[in-house]
Amino acid sequence: MKKLAIIGVFVVVVMAVAVYRAKLGAEETQGEIDTLKAEATSIGKDIAVMKAEEAYLTRPDRIGPIARQQLGLEQATPRQYVAPEALSRTLGEERLTLPAVTPDAAAPAQDAGVKPAQ
Amino acid sequence: MMLFERPEVDVWGRRRARMVAGVMALIFTVIVGRSAYVAMNGPDLVSASARPAAIASVRRADIVDRKGELLATTVPGWSLAANPSAIWDAGEVASELKKVLPRLDLIGLTTQLSDRKRKFVWVQRGLTQEEKDAVFGLGVEGLQFVEEARRVYPRGKLAGHFLGYTNIDGDGLEGSELAFDKRLKAGGEPLQLTLDASVQFVVEEELERAFADFDMKGGAGIVVDANTGAVRAVASWPALDPNRRGAEDASVKLNRALNARFELGSIYKPLTVAEALDAGTLTLTDRFDVSTPVKIGGATVKDPHPLPNAKSVTAGDVLAFSSNVGAALIAQRAGVDRQKNFLRSLHLLGGQSHEGPQTASPLTPEKWDQTAMATVSYGHGISVSPLAFAMTYTAFGNGGNYVSPAFVEPIDPARVEKTQVMKPETAQAVLGMLRETVTRGTGKNADAQGYEVAGKTGTAEKPGPDGYDPNKNITSFAAVFPASRPQYVVLVVLDEAQPRTGDQRTASYTAASIAGRVIARAAPLLDVRPVLVASKAEAASLRGSEATTP
Repeated sequence: MKKLAIIGVFVVVVMAVAVYRAKLGAEETQGEIDTLKAEATSIGKDIAVMKAEEAYLTRPDRIGPIARQQLGLEQATPRQYVAPEALSRTLGEERLTLPAVTPDAAAPAQDAGVKPAQ
Repeated sequence: MMLFERPEVDVWGRRRARMVAGVMALIFTVIVGRSAYVAMNGPDLVSASARPAAIASVRRADIVDRKGELLATTVPGWSLAANPSAIWDAGEVASELKKVLPRLDLIGLTTQLSDRKRKFVWVQRGLTQEEKDAVFGLGVEGLQFVEEARRVYPRGKLAGHFLGYTNIDGDGLEGSELAFDKRLKAGGEPLQLTLDASVQFVVEEELERAFADFDMKGGAGIVVDANTGAVRAVASWPALDPNRRGAEDASVKLNRALNARFELGSIYKPLTVAEALDAGTLTLTDRFDVSTPVKIGGATVKDPHPLPNAKSVTAGDVLAFSSNVGAALIAQRAGVDRQKNFLRSLHLLGGQSHEGPQTASPLTPEKWDQTAMATVSYGHGISVSPLAFAMTYTAFGNGGNYVSPAFVEPIDPARVEKTQVMKPETAQAVLGMLRETVTRGTGKNADAQGYEVAGKTGTAEKPGPDGYDPNKNITSFAAVFPASRPQYVVLVVLDEAQPRTGDQRTASYTAASIAGRVIARAAPLLDVRPVLVASKAEAASLRGSEATTP
C-alpha cells in the first residue's frame, strides 16, 4: 500500500511538473504568436498607409498632367486605330510620306500620335 | 492475562488507508484527465475579456473599383485625450492646445479639464500627423494620444458622392459607405465596385469643364453597361470630398445623379416612340402634321422651333428635330394606359430595387389624364433621378430589355436579370432614329468621331412656384454607343447651364457637347474600338483601290 502511495505521489508530482512545463511552453508560444501578430498588424497598417499613398499619388488629376507634360502621352484617338482591311493602305500612305522606311519603323502605327519626350 | 485478551484489530486504520488511497486515486484521475485534456485541446489562454477587443478591432474593408484601384481604405490615425486629474492648470493647457488645434472650443475644453474627478476626456479626435506633432511639441502633461482607425479616400473627390463617408467611429453615413456598411464592417476582402476610376474621372473632369463653358448650378453624368447594367461612372457636380465627412454645403452634398429628381424633357420622346411602335399604333412610315400647336386634354402643345417639312414628318423626324407636338400626337395614339404601363415597366414610376445606394423615388402626375399623357410624352410633369432614367436606355442598347443598375462586381453576364420591355425590332428601330438624331438632328454636337453615338437631346424648363420658368432649363443628353454594336449608355444632365459664350442654352449646345466629349474619352478606356470601316462595301472599296494602285 505504501509503495502504491509513493508511486502515486511520484506520478502526480511528475504529471504536475509536466503540466506546468506544458503550460509554460504554451504561454511562451502564445507570447511569440502575439508578438508575430502584433508585427503582422503593424506591417499591415504600414501597407495600408503605403497603398493609400500610392493611390493618392496615382490619382488621375495628378498623373494626367505629368503624363502629358513629362512623357508627351495623349489619349488614343480614333485616328490611331487601324482596321485590318485598311492596314496595308495606311502603311502605304506612310511609305509615301516618310522619306526612308524600314519594316521596323513602319510597324508601330499606334504610336503615331505620341509626342517625343522633351 | 494477555492470553485471554482479544487481539486488537485496527479496523479504522485500514479504512483510513482506503480512504486516503481513494482520495489520491481521485486526485490522480483528475490530474491525469486534465493533463490529457490540455494535451489534446491546448490551454485556454485567451481570456473572455480579450475577445470583444479582438472583434472590435476588425478593420473596415477597403473599397476598390472594377480594376482593383483603391477608392477607400482604413489607416491608423490618432486622437487626443486628456486626464483632468493630472492637470493642474486647465485654463493654461486649454489655451496651449487651442494654439495648435484651432478647431477646439476653448471654454468647453477648459470646463472639461477643470473637472478633476474625471480621468479621461476626448480633446480632439482624428488628428492629422501635423497636429499630432504640434501637440507633442507642447510637452503638456496629462495628455495622451490614442490610436484609432481612420477612414480615408486617397483619390479625393473622385466618386465622392457615390462612395459617401463614415463618421469618426467608422459608421457609414452616406453613399456606398452607408449602403454597404454591414459588409464593410465585417472586414475581409475589399468591396469591388463596378465603377471604373478612369471613366469616373473623365466624367467628373468633363462636368468640371462644363462649368468652365457654362454658368451652371449643378450637373450629373452616368455611364452604364447596356447589357449588364454595371454602372461604370456615376458623377455629381459640384464634386464632394468624402475626406471632409460632410462638412460641405447641402448643395454640394446633394448627389444629383441618384438623389435629385429632374424633369428631363425630350429625352423621353424615344420612349414615347418605342411604346407606340411596340403597341402597333405607330409605323416607321406614318406621317404627322406638326406645323401648328395641338390641344390635347387641357394642354396646348407647341414646338419652340419649327421643324423642316413640318406638315409631314415621320417619327424619326420627331426625334431628330425634337417635336413636342409630334411626341404628343404619337402618345395620343397609344393612350394613357399604355403610356403608364410602359413607363412602369421601365421603373420610371418607382419600384426599382438594387443592391447599393438607392435613388430618389419619382414624382409622377397626380392625375394621369390626357393632359398628363401629352406632357409626359415629351418629358414634362414627371421627375426622376438621372440614374433611374439612364437605365431605360439600356433597352435600346440590348435588344429591348430593361436591366437594373449593378454596383458590385463580379457580374456574370449570363445571370443578369433582364425584363423584355419592347420587341427587339422596336429597340433597333428607335436606335436607328437616335443615330439619325445625332447625324442630322439636334444631337450633332455629341457625335464623337468613330463611336457612332445614338442619342437624344432634352431641354426642359424648370418648374417653380409660379409655373415653368422659361429662363431656367434642365438640359440633358441620353445616348447609346456605338450604334452598330451597342455597349454603353451615357446620360449627362446639366442644371441651369447657360453658355458663357452667348450660345443658346438648349441641350444641343450644352449637354450634347459634354456627352460627346465624355464618349470620345471614355470609349477607349472601356475597350470600345472606334468604327473604322463601317461596311463591307467600304472595305471592298479599299481593297479595290489597293489593287489598282501601281
